[in-house]
Amino acid sequence: MNAPVRLSLSSLRAHRRRFAGTFLAVFLGVAFLAGTLVMGDTLRASFDSMFGEATSGTDAVVRGADAITTPGEAQGVRRPVDTALVRTVERVPGVAAAAPNIQGAGQLVGADGKPIGGQGPPTLAGNWITDPRLNPYRLAEGRAPVRSGEVVINRGTAKKGDLKIGDTTILRTPDPVRVTVVGLATFGGADGMAQVTFTGMTQADAEKYLTARPGQAASIQVRAGPGVSRRELVDRLTPVLPQGVEAITGQESAQENTDMISSQFLTIFTTFLLVFSGVALLVATFSIHNTFAIVVAQRTRENALLRALGASRRQVTGATLVEASAVALTASAAGLAGGVGIAAGLQALFPAIGFPFPEGDLVITTLSMVLPLAVGIVVCLGSALLPAVRAGRTAPLAALRETAVDSSGASRPRAVVGAVLAALGVAAALTGVLVSPSVWLAGLGAVLALAAFVVLGPVASGTAVRLLGGPLDRLRGVTGGLARRNALRSPKRTAATASALMIGVAVVSLFTVFGASLKATMDQTVSRSFAGDVAVSTPSFGAGGSGLSPRLAPAVQRLPEVDTAVGLGRGVAEVDGKGRALTVTDPAALARTFDLGTVRGSLRDLGADGIAVTRKEADRQGLATGDTARLTFTDGRTQDFTVRAVYGRSELAGDYVITRAAWAPHRTQDSDSLVAVSFKDGVGTAAGKAAVEKVAARYGDPQVQTRDEYAQSSAGGIDMMLTLVYALLALAVLIALLGIANTLTLAIHERTRELGLLRAVGQTQPQVRAMVRWESVLVAAFGTAGGLGLGAFLGWVLVRASDGASDSAFAFAIPPARLAVVALVGLAAGALAGLRPARRAARLDILRAIATE
Amino acid sequence: MSTATSVRTAARVENAVKVYGRGDTAVRALDGVDVDFPAGRFTAIMGPSGSGKSTLMHCAAGLDTLTSGAAYIGDTDLGSLDDRRLTLLRRDRVGFVFQAFNLVPTLTVAENITLPLDLAGGGGDREWVDALVDVVGLRDRLRHRPSELSGGQQQRVAVARAFAGRPDVVFADEPTGNLDSRSGQEVLGLLGRAVRQMDRTVVMVTHDPVAAAHADEVVFLADGRLVDRMQSPTADGVLDRMKAFEVRS
Repeated sequence: MNAPVRLSLSSLRAHRRRFAGTFLAVFLGVAFLAGTLVMGDTLRASFDSMFGEATSGTDAVVRGADAITTPGEAQGVRRPVDTALVRTVERVPGVAAAAPNIQGAGQLVGADGKPIGGQGPPTLAGNWITDPRLNPYRLAEGRAPVRSGEVVINRGTAKKGDLKIGDTTILRTPDPVRVTVVGLATFGGADGMAQVTFTGMTQADAEKYLTARPGQAASIQVRAGPGVSRRELVDRLTPVLPQGVEAITGQESAQENTDMISSQFLTIFTTFLLVFSGVALLVATFSIHNTFAIVVAQRTRENALLRALGASRRQVTGATLVEASAVALTASAAGLAGGVGIAAGLQALFPAIGFPFPEGDLVITTLSMVLPLAVGIVVCLGSALLPAVRAGRTAPLAALRETAVDSSGASRPRAVVGAVLAALGVAAALTGVLVSPSVWLAGLGAVLALAAFVVLGPVASGTAVRLLGGPLDRLRGVTGGLARRNALRSPKRTAATASALMIGVAVVSLFTVFGASLKATMDQTVSRSFAGDVAVSTPSFGAGGSGLSPRLAPAVQRLPEVDTAVGLGRGVAEVDGKGRALTVTDPAALARTFDLGTVRGSLRDLGADGIAVTRKEADRQGLATGDTARLTFTDGRTQDFTVRAVYGRSELAGDYVITRAAWAPHRTQDSDSLVAVSFKDGVGTAAGKAAVEKVAARYGDPQVQTRDEYAQSSAGGIDMMLTLVYALLALAVLIALLGIANTLTLAIHERTRELGLLRAVGQTQPQVRAMVRWESVLVAAFGTAGGLGLGAFLGWVLVRASDGASDSAFAFAIPPARLAVVALVGLAAGALAGLRPARRAARLDILRAIATE
Repeated sequence: MSTATSVRTAARVENAVKVYGRGDTAVRALDGVDVDFPAGRFTAIMGPSGSGKSTLMHCAAGLDTLTSGAAYIGDTDLGSLDDRRLTLLRRDRVGFVFQAFNLVPTLTVAENITLPLDLAGGGGDREWVDALVDVVGLRDRLRHRPSELSGGQQQRVAVARAFAGRPDVVFADEPTGNLDSRSGQEVLGLLGRAVRQMDRTVVMVTHDPVAAAHADEVVFLADGRLVDRMQSPTADGVLDRMKAFEVRS
């Protein structure tokens, strides 16, 4: 081993504690990153094997060739195939068996009377395919449905809804159907396909309840005879299929399904987690840099001595980097192990919270190990690079001088660079938000603003700490004053320490502000557009279960209390070649319960060939009243519609409105997503709501909400997301806290003599502790204040940029109570971080501290 | 000086023993020392290095605890005090001047002088502090930081701080060790004036016979024992005494 390596390793051994914080920061970041990657790979692999196993008996799938995909949806809607085609397929040589696959939405009601699922993953219902090798579900208990009203449900759903074989319950299709559970099924060896619920019924029932017309199936599953390969099977099937129908291999179909899950769920899930590990690592960068900067500063004499004895700059720099590498390597390696542990823990945890997926080994790829390791090492070495170079620059004479307190930071170039960055950032953000809406420009502005905050930190820390610590002198006397001045000692160090917390708090505030704005937007949308008194709706989050019965609105309309009840259904079609969602409703009634803004033309007489369009969409498509729009439906038929009305507000009504009469020939499984009800004059909300609830009970008992309740529940998913985000950001804040604690511990080491002096002239231990704690709180306050400001600004930019980029108007809201909580948590965290260093400071041996060497 | 004040004792130790380490490596830094420091007097503790003079001072001032024996400030037995009371005693009744690093770098000169008073939370006697500032000649430096002062000026600030709370006794540990002779003379002059003109009590540890000559009395320590006392010392007399020890040991 050469001299620098030996030196740095021995110094590492001697000062292990100094690097505990650095170690933990790298460890946590790398563990989180590795855990995310392993988790993603494992989930992907388990979905792959699940679908592979479930569909292994299906050699080919016959289905509609074209899918109509509306913006923001991963899976398009395909044209159904005729069940009569099964006969044709069966006659093709090499086909052993073929079965129609009828699919629709069907939500079961559990033993407790509450619907199962519906808050996210789809609730599926279909025909129970009698050929066990074509059926992706396997019968685990009981028997297959034979008579009408008998169903097989997947075991996960049965557990969740506490349903057993022999139980009778309601299936919302969305019209309530009484069903008896006769069997339980598994999917690909698991209790279900993740949290998707499945109900299998007889083919006759499925055709009756899940399709608009009997004789339609989503696809036909085909099994090949002996000696016929899947490819061959597809080749033989293709010639006999009518136009607009295609055959693909079972593998391709399974692959499409897993890809869909990947893009809909896994990619979002892992991207989300990766972003947070990125934030955590960014925060870690500051903590690590700070630790090395301080260690190098403290070692000035030692390094100078080395230089005086003939060590080259490169050797001194190298020694510091070797030290950093050793920490980086051990911490990253430990992080990898931690990451695998996290993934294993989550794998065990998921089934426990009702998220079944097949048990399997963790999938650990080279990438999911090499990437976090590389990131950990690069982050650690990168953060230590500047301090290491500075160590190499130590003048040999510095050994003879008293270690100077680093008071640089508020330099003019720094202030100028920071101000320029800030100006550029704000300018880019404002341009991206106000002048020419562009998310990219706004994002660039956000990044520049963040950089400006970091660069300006040391310049601002003096003023900020003086300001924030102002009351401290009065409250805590000389102890507070000392704390304030200690925080002011090295503006650079204070700023770097606070920056870590600042970034964490900024991201928290960003999400808080964005979440509040989304809620305000929903609230505004409902209060502006919804003119009714009560709403009957499905959960707004995710697939929304099976929707509402289309017969509910007419039934409610017949109530004496009700003035208007209008149901909103959903359809899809290609409008002039582009997939679009349609609102299927009674347009005249719609205009009475919704505020559609200014309407050009009339919604009253759309008829079977008229359509209403929002102004924004009309402008985009170049449509005006009287124009013709060509719609292609999922059944492959095309029809020209006349634009009879252009309306202003699209938020709840959607972009295109057609009548039920126009939709009827093309309809699929019918359901409404919302029934809006307005009462007659003089009918109280409570009385009216009770009457509507009574009717709703006969149609699967969906939730009836007043306007306010409806607005609140629309925003319900946001709080859930925010909670998750907070939990993930806790990691970044934790790393920032470790940074503060570490910096303080090192600073106390530097101030040993001074602390001894203070103790000698009469500072009590509680006073010492308070002094260190308050310093910690001040640094945290600085970071928190900066983070709140930056986060609020970035939140505003994000909201405005989203506003510009999307059709619906976004409201901007600052939630004072929540932000106050964030601020308090930041301060409390500071106090917490100061606890240990404070105890150490108070326990210092006075004599050793004041001993003159 | 009047005889009434010299009867009163500001600090004393009785049969003081201080042992560092254990077993074979045990070192008896103090080996049964009895000494009292009369109030209103300037006492110097002299001895070769390793004689235990610093340990004696630390134990007498409540910075360190004795292995056996007793130490008193006035009538207070230091052995009976816990850390908190000991700290309060140092703050209220004892002053310190160390060889170096006497001042808190973040505080101004004025704040350093009043530090013990501020730590106590009370205002103290501001007129007295004001008078002290003039005595040490630092009125024009009050708003400066320690790093802006010369070594001698820093020690004068330390002297002012030591007397700011009118403590029973001021302990000075080699106060001139890091100073050139002119600055050293100034600091010693200040200590002497504080005793003779302001009726203060000073105990100073030094190895410099010239510094010791500023005291009213010198006590000599060797190998942890009190070996001699000398009233109204002169530099030459102290030097002779020291030489005599070195020959003997």
